[in-house]
Amino acid sequence: MDGFNSAPHILKKFDSELSLIHDKIVAMGHLVEQQLSSALQAFTTNDVKLAIEVLKQDDLVDEYEAIIDAECISVIALYQPTGCDLDLLVSVIKVTNELESIAAKAEGIADITIRLNQKTVDLRG
Amino acid sequence: MDNSKIAHHISENFNKELEDIRNKVLTMGGCVEEQIEQAVRALTTGDMELAELVIKQDNQIDELEMEIDAECTQIIALRQPAAFDLRLLLVVLRVINELERIGDLAERIAKMAIYLSNSSEGRTDQYHELKHMAGLVKDMLHSALDNFARMTIEGITDITRCDEQVDREYASIIRQLITQMMEDPRNITRSMDMLWTVRALERIGDHSRYLCEHLVYMVNGEDVRHLTQAELEEKMKGQ
Repeated sequence: MDGFNSAPHILKKFDSELSLIHDKIVAMGHLVEQQLSSALQAFTTNDVKLAIEVLKQDDLVDEYEAIIDAECISVIALYQPTGCDLDLLVSVIKVTNELESIAAKAEGIADITIRLNQKTVDLRG
Repeated sequence: MDNSKIAHHISENFNKELEDIRNKVLTMGGCVEEQIEQAVRALTTGDMELAELVIKQDNQIDELEMEIDAECTQIIALRQPAAFDLRLLLVVLRVINELERIGDLAERIAKMAIYLSNSSEGRTDQYHELKHMAGLVKDMLHSALDNFARMTIEGITDITRCDEQVDREYASIIRQLITQMMEDPRNITRSMDMLWTVRALERIGDHSRYLCEHLVYMVNGEDVRHLTQAELEEKMKGQ
């Protein structure tokens, strides 16, 4: 994949910053996708170990979100982009937020998997 | 209102734009608070007209979100702000997103009010607990918006601590509902409707907590998301 579909800029550095952010958001997206499918697999196969793995990845997703957000904000502050570059960076911040919410839902599924396999009789716990 | 944080720019216009954005966010916040209040009242009094009104008004909140969102991006592009001004505008984008989600949850409660009027057959158990929980989350939201209006983070950890209380009350109502479902399967429909309602209130508490975290970022530039209450208190000590 060759980064965001934005025209090359006079500042090479700006392009490379954008492409770094692009790589990170793709990586974060993959991680969240994988987390969701693992959570579903853990749920349907009652695989508590896999569910615990899903929960362990939570920190990594949070870290991605914090790093990508911080990078976007510093690129906005340093390069003062306008037009579609600005829209792109603001959208990235929104996308990381949605991805984080999806990851939280995947963890919810993993959580329920663990609880269902611990207490099949008393659901009140 | 103390304007020292946003009214110091050489450009009078920029001051005005920031002031305008803040006022719009507060208007939106006021609408959302009103929506929660009305949704819970519709549920506890069985007022279906009020519930329908809440569902209809959700559009206004969505429109406000889009309007503020566009204005914020435009100001960033035109004024190229840095430091606090940039954080303020980015936080506004996040704050209106949280407010919009809270608005959706209020709408969910209003829908549940309509379902419950069919499944409850005049029963009001847990309404007292539900009202108490709604009071807590409304206070959380109100204090968070108050801090946003003043651009401060005073007592922010007191607001986030309240979320723990909300979670405890949520768990306790869920336990009651499960007991009722086990006692008599005829309770299940009503209990499930009640469950979605308290779940929505619990989520409103979470989003109010996120609002507070965004405010900390706005005021001192620190990303405090995903911390536990104890970690947050430790971080905010002496500030």
